[in-house]
Amino acid sequence: MIKIERRDETSNLIYFLTPVLAIFLTLVTGAIIFYLLGFKPLEALKFFFITPISDLYGLSELLVKATPLCLIAIGLSFCFKSNNWNIGAEGQLTFGGIVGGGVALLFYNHEGFYVLPLIILAGAIGGMIFAMIPAILKIYFNTNEILVSLMLVYISKLLLDYLVVGPWSNPEGFNFPETRQFSESARLPILFEGLRIHAGIFIALFSVFLAWVVLFKTYLGFQIKVSGLSLKTAKYAGFKGKTMILLVFMVSGACAGLAGVGEITGPIGQLHRMISPEYGFTAIIVAFLGRLNPIGIVFASLIVALTYLGAETAQIFLQVPKYTGQVFQGMILFFLLASDFLLFFRIKFLGLKKYEY
Amino acid sequence: MNTKLKVSKVSKIYPGCIANDNVSLNFQSGKIYALLGENGAGKSTLVKILSGVINPDKGQIFLNDKLLKLTSPKDAKNNNIGMVFQHFNLFETLSVFENLSIDNEKNNHQLRILINNILKKYNFKIDLDVPILNLSAGQKQKVEIVRCLIRNPKVLIMDEPTSVLTEQETEDLFLSLKKFSKEGILIIYITHKLKEVLSLCDEVAVMRKGKVVSISRTVDEELSSLANKMIGENLNKIKKIASNNLSGEEILKVSRLNFNSEDPYEVNLVDINFTLNKGECLGIAGISGNGQNELFQILSGETLSNNGSIKFRSKEISKLNPKERREYLMAFSPEDRISQAAVPSLKIYENVALNNFKTSNFFEKGLFNERKIKDHSKKILSNFSVNTDNVNLKSQFLSGGNLQKLILGRELITSPELLICFNPTWGLDVGAINYIHQTLVKINEQGKSIILISTNNDELLQLSDRISVINKGKLSKIMSAEEVNPEKLGLLMGGGLVD
Repeated sequence: MIKIERRDETSNLIYFLTPVLAIFLTLVTGAIIFYLLGFKPLEALKFFFITPISDLYGLSELLVKATPLCLIAIGLSFCFKSNNWNIGAEGQLTFGGIVGGGVALLFYNHEGFYVLPLIILAGAIGGMIFAMIPAILKIYFNTNEILVSLMLVYISKLLLDYLVVGPWSNPEGFNFPETRQFSESARLPILFEGLRIHAGIFIALFSVFLAWVVLFKTYLGFQIKVSGLSLKTAKYAGFKGKTMILLVFMVSGACAGLAGVGEITGPIGQLHRMISPEYGFTAIIVAFLGRLNPIGIVFASLIVALTYLGAETAQIFLQVPKYTGQVFQGMILFFLLASDFLLFFRIKFLGLKKYEY
Repeated sequence: MNTKLKVSKVSKIYPGCIANDNVSLNFQSGKIYALLGENGAGKSTLVKILSGVINPDKGQIFLNDKLLKLTSPKDAKNNNIGMVFQHFNLFETLSVFENLSIDNEKNNHQLRILINNILKKYNFKIDLDVPILNLSAGQKQKVEIVRCLIRNPKVLIMDEPTSVLTEQETEDLFLSLKKFSKEGILIIYITHKLKEVLSLCDEVAVMRKGKVVSISRTVDEELSSLANKMIGENLNKIKKIASNNLSGEEILKVSRLNFNSEDPYEVNLVDINFTLNKGECLGIAGISGNGQNELFQILSGETLSNNGSIKFRSKEISKLNPKERREYLMAFSPEDRISQAAVPSLKIYENVALNNFKTSNFFEKGLFNERKIKDHSKKILSNFSVNTDNVNLKSQFLSGGNLQKLILGRELITSPELLICFNPTWGLDVGAINYIHQTLVKINEQGKSIILISTNNDELLQLSDRISVINKGKLSKIMSAEEVNPEKLGLLMGGGLVD
């Protein structure tokens, strides 16, 4: 007989160290996988995790990829902390991109300092409105937000598809499924000549700070925390549950929208079908790896961004598919959940003959 | 047949606590033995040792002078020791017969005859083919007892069996137990209810902090002597003085309140009407699951009823949520203190912040004012004698009594005009119960009003000025406490009519 018991108390230090353990286990398992594929494990890992960031360009790329992941995960942490399972950040990102991109196209060839802020604002509002759909359906019709938010991802992706192929496609673009390149006034400024790292990183860092203040220092953050731990208590304390569901979805959607608009006005510079390599889904892993804590999320986003880069270099140097990156992301989540389970529960082996009531 | 059970020098030590300290007891068939003690006195540990669930660190158990080796509940069964636990171990969706046949080797036909004989002999009226979930608590308990009787027990151990029963069911149970005892079954009855000891048992062993502190015949004891032995200090008896400062000033008026739930497991409330005066305690009795939960939630504002009115000092409050009602100086102490009134994984001061007022300034301009909340929490801890002064302690580490003191303190420190509490002493030990009763009496004396929803009749009779009974979502006529007695309450609780 095996019995699983809840542990009484888990230490805070270990709580924040288990993600490190999960990453270590991922590396070990990754090494084994590479070995079985016929590579020298250490060398392969080096190609995967060291080579990509061994020069300035690599580091800049790391931050370019970490920026949207961090932003989205920050937003998601509001939802997840309060027991709202928003799985559709990818859709909110896409919709934010569509709305922001629409405004950018509207101001095509316009000069003016106001263009970029307007686009960014439009993107945030777009993502926010798109996230309000599952929230409102949950509040008034008791629908499951997991399903609704997930299904909306495909709606926004198909809408983007339609727009870049149809009405918004570049008139001089030889029917390629993409819009015009945005004009210079609609682009986020590049921080260093020759590198792709752009001003979006400041938006992400500012949101980290803001999220930290809201979650740990305000009444709103306290309400989010209590609702996440016990909805019964939140109700008893008289927190406005419905308003809060709407609010956390709006925050989450706005962050995802910002990430989307940051991508199209930053490194991409136009709308096309693939404005996000599934940042919205990967950010779920980032949020949990970072323990839904703003500071933790910063580190987690860097690590997960590295798996994107590693996959690209591995593709070049080792001739393995770029999906190896997703294998690593999957392993991180798996080991994190497994070590969490052991962190919160203990397994007792009771021998074979024991009876249990 | 004569059965002798001997517990000899049994000790069981857990980290940080001695659950059983050198316990020696002798039991003999023909008598009913009470094992009396507060929560945490070591009764349950001893019972678990006797039923083989846990192994003692030291000591032996002898049945008829034969040393017993009890390493699993199966050993206890094979040695004819039967156990009825406080919480039923029955499969709700299976029929009575299926439940009884699960752990029995006999073939179904023989078993059915055997069970029918037992039912007939003791006049138990249970349909063997209905699912358990259709049975009342009393009937479920009878199924558990029958499960023991099938095995011809020499010893029958009952662990706090009446906590879920009505007065009537309790009397039934006592009759059956006396019958078993006459037939030579040795009965050990575990309880912390003093009255039951006196009315049912022949001998009583009192446990305190893991030790047996007294063994005596019940004829030599009375309520107060047992209570003193149990908690080891002289209880000052709470006597509610009939509130003479009743000004007749109306605090709360509930009229034509109906509640139809969409949830089939909830009880609908039907035409609830009552008024509550300043300084008064209105008790609401009833068997649990008759609408108390729904009534509490509607009074606290956790659920809103779509018709009827609730007026607090003639202001309509029926559409306000709990936080808004608190601003009107109402306070609430729900039944589920562990996971509703507080969050176990939050620290004490965070749990205190749950009760947030405009005037309490816990969150100035929306920011968490940690220092203010902590000072406020310290005040609660000391004013309400909670057994810690560490406001950073997670509330999961507080015992039931201390947690309830914290919650009541949190609700009362703002001096509300009305406290609505639901089973405030449920599962607590005598010391804590005593403290909470005193507190309730005190706030009544200060002219505050209380609605006390409780399933504990003694408590209701002790504290209430007026009492009503809730049955299937309906309130009975409200009676003044003097004209009510336990029998009357029992009758109303069971759905009967009085007068």
